[in-house]
Amino acid sequence: MTDTSRKGLFGSASRRSFLSGVGAAAVGLTFSGGKLGKALAAEEKKLNFYNWDTYIGETTLDTFQAASGIDVNMSLFATNDELFAKLRAGNPGYDVIVPGSEFVERMITADLLTPLEHSKIPNIKNVSKEFIDDAPYDPGRKFSLPYTWLVIGIGYRKSKVKEVPDSWKYVLDSDQYKGRIAVFSDASELYRHGFKYLGHSANAGTPDLVKQVEAMLIKQKPNIKAFHEDNGQDLLLSGEVDVVMEYNGDIAQIMAEDDDIAFVVPKEGSLKQSDTLCIPKGAPHPENAHAFINHLLDAKVGAEIFHTIKFPSPNAAATAIMDDAYKNNPAIFPPADVLAKCEYPRYAGEEMTRLLDESLTRLRAD
Amino acid sequence: MADRPAPLEYNRTWPMRLWLGGVFFFLYAPLIALMAFSFNDSKRTIVWRGFTFDHYKKLFNNNELMLAFANSLTIAFITTLISVVLGALAAVMLWRFRFRFKGAIEGALALPIVVPEICMGVAMLVFFARVMPWPNDLIWPFSLGAIIIAHVSFCFPFVTMVVRARLASFNKEQEEAARDLGASDWEAFRDVLLPHMKPALIAGALLSFTLSLDDFVITFFTSGPNTVTFPVKVYSMVRFSVTPEVNAASTMLIVLTVVLMALMMLGQRKSTTAK
Amino acid sequence: MLNRDGQSRSTFWATVLPPTLWVAVFFLVPLGIVWLYSFGQNEGLTGISLTGTFANYVRAFDPLYLQIFAKSIFVAGLTTLLCLIIGFPVALAIVFADEKSRTWLLMLVMLPFWTNLLIRTYALIAVLRTEGFANFTLEWLWNNASGVMTFAGLAPLGDFQPLQLLYNNFAVVVGLVYVHLPFMVLPLYAALDRLDKSLMEASLDLGAGHLRTLFSIVVPLAMPGIVSGVIITFVPALGAYLTPDLLGGPDSQMIANVIERQFKRANDWPFGAALSFLLMYATFIAIAMRSYLTRGKAVDAHGI
Repeated sequence: MTDTSRKGLFGSASRRSFLSGVGAAAVGLTFSGGKLGKALAAEEKKLNFYNWDTYIGETTLDTFQAASGIDVNMSLFATNDELFAKLRAGNPGYDVIVPGSEFVERMITADLLTPLEHSKIPNIKNVSKEFIDDAPYDPGRKFSLPYTWLVIGIGYRKSKVKEVPDSWKYVLDSDQYKGRIAVFSDASELYRHGFKYLGHSANAGTPDLVKQVEAMLIKQKPNIKAFHEDNGQDLLLSGEVDVVMEYNGDIAQIMAEDDDIAFVVPKEGSLKQSDTLCIPKGAPHPENAHAFINHLLDAKVGAEIFHTIKFPSPNAAATAIMDDAYKNNPAIFPPADVLAKCEYPRYAGEEMTRLLDESLTRLRAD
Repeated sequence: MADRPAPLEYNRTWPMRLWLGGVFFFLYAPLIALMAFSFNDSKRTIVWRGFTFDHYKKLFNNNELMLAFANSLTIAFITTLISVVLGALAAVMLWRFRFRFKGAIEGALALPIVVPEICMGVAMLVFFARVMPWPNDLIWPFSLGAIIIAHVSFCFPFVTMVVRARLASFNKEQEEAARDLGASDWEAFRDVLLPHMKPALIAGALLSFTLSLDDFVITFFTSGPNTVTFPVKVYSMVRFSVTPEVNAASTMLIVLTVVLMALMMLGQRKSTTAK
Repeated sequence: MLNRDGQSRSTFWATVLPPTLWVAVFFLVPLGIVWLYSFGQNEGLTGISLTGTFANYVRAFDPLYLQIFAKSIFVAGLTTLLCLIIGFPVALAIVFADEKSRTWLLMLVMLPFWTNLLIRTYALIAVLRTEGFANFTLEWLWNNASGVMTFAGLAPLGDFQPLQLLYNNFAVVVGLVYVHLPFMVLPLYAALDRLDKSLMEASLDLGAGHLRTLFSIVVPLAMPGIVSGVIITFVPALGAYLTPDLLGGPDSQMIANVIERQFKRANDWPFGAALSFLLMYATFIAIAMRSYLTRGKAVDAHGI
């Protein structure tokens, strides 16, 4: 993806650092030592970015280096749980991380994040206003800025269903698709849709409600083929199942390859999620981190990122310059009235987390 | 020479051949399918859409992945070296000496085999975060130090176990005879014990190379911001779907390790024939 | 041995110190911390206070968790047994092969295991799934058989129903055997390598059959290898979480899945630590029993 990684192999005197020197000189010429340049000068020109794989544009890191001279070193995590477990023992040196919205709130509660200085991120103006205002997990956006967002719904194979499976009933409480159903193996994602189906808020979890959903799911278990770890799109595409609980971005990717696949957000509503940009406590390069977040929220840079990763973008300025195929995709951007029924999952405290986990253990035991 | 296999030529009997064929088919059929799909002209590995080298081209341009390869092989190599030495020493110690606390040490050596991966991963995470922080700005390969230490800790007890099983069949009188003829401890070890241990050392080395190369959990928890390994990369890649690029990467890793192993074996054969 | 001469004393220390120190510093210390956690209590989101409580262990003895333990032991035991049955002839074949093919056979056994575990598991999925290679092959055979039967004037077989090979406990066992086979073959090979073939010849000359020779000569000699093979297969199989996660069905939960969730999603390190250590104690008891049982047999083998 970039030359960054070479640095490890050849020590610090790599081609990359040479290039970055040239880049820095170029920036010095064009921006002629603005405020940004001065603030950055205090820190070494390095940044450790902890991201999901394939979650960045092909040239994003290079354009950032050309503009700021900062060498971005990207490493990868695969789940929010792992990210949290790792940072909980202490930040080993990451500057920018990309946790999901539910984990943002958990990390704020655990005091693992550094507040963002909005004055250093002028590109906040590009973020669509609803994503700044509607962020119950981080009111006022003190700790996080949205990078992508997602909605959970049902991906299905058109030729194998009688009618559009537009209710959680088909997945959670019906034997109509016996043996052709896959659901999330994550307790929070699974149970909260159970709450929704039973007519409650996704965040209304009480011990009683958890028991109710557990009983429903134990009854439904013989009809479920697999509990998947966020690879439901593969199960659907390979014909293993016909209805699957999955994120819209994942289903949108396979819709491009198979016309027989569609996505619907059930009428009871569902969960929204947003992957966000945050700076963890103890980040060695906070100035660079702010500059980098600002770069990612730039309109052109954003368009390049979303062109690559095809997830819904909260960046209004970036979306405006994307092509129509992206903008008008109903799976990527579900209608507003549907979205109105979707909620961000809120962090419900450790007790609820453990209650859900033990319930899942009971559900998965025979 | 005869048409009928001699009594002990089991490998020439048909049940044995059938069995071996079956086992190798079981082991290789999935891998061959995997390799075949690395040439699939599609973003998925489910339906065959034609032949292409594109995924390999992308792979070679993916420096991040190349570095992850290099990191993984380096870690596995150094880990194996240290593990074989420590593991063989531990096996000899347990087999040969009687001393106080032997039982305790024996138990401690069996522990790493028994600990669930995730538990060990968290143990190493806390250890390197709180007890012995590993600086993350060292130059390569020292930046891999924490991972290597953790890998050796779970690999060398496996070597010990295999070598010990082997030593059980050693005739101690041989060594004593060598010593009676004036050999020093070291000479007796080198000329008598070591040759006897050799198959177990090879088996142990293969085991620890494999374990190290394949480890994700412990590596993930001990890695700093600068140390992506191949399994860590793969785990984050498949999170988004299994693409032919992943297949191509694993095909590369298989080919690379086979070539390395073949070279090592050739070198070894040359040195033994030279003797 | 220690009393032999001065040389032995330095040899003793040179042998004992490096592995002992390594284990003490780089293994026992980290593990000790987690062991202490198992007697602790969660404090807020990231704190653990070491109160010396046994609450985590008490919770682990809930029938819910005991049942999962029992199931995991059964699955891992079945996996080990299958590995032993499949792997023993393979190890024998390697031992009986000539020098050159021996190296190649060893390579062939090990090669699949230099592929990443996750990738291997996905490769297996591609073979086993409903529209996978196994079902394609079966369908082809079925249709041909059907054609032959029609040709022979019999009723055709009817439509092929793909087998459900994935997302159930069967798939988990297949996956575990696939992943753990070399852990069995290698120690067996290492123990049998210098098998004294004259013993077998003598046995055959004396009129014992091949199977009898195998069980009365080869198996006792291979006993140390079998024991270490069984241990290093059984233990990782018991701790496997990826295979049941990816290949298993709704009820294929193993204890390692539960442990993994405690350290990750549930964020309950003390309970995860307690479960881990219970698992370790159980395995230790199993190993101790094994070595106690085989001690007698090993002497017999020498007696031959």
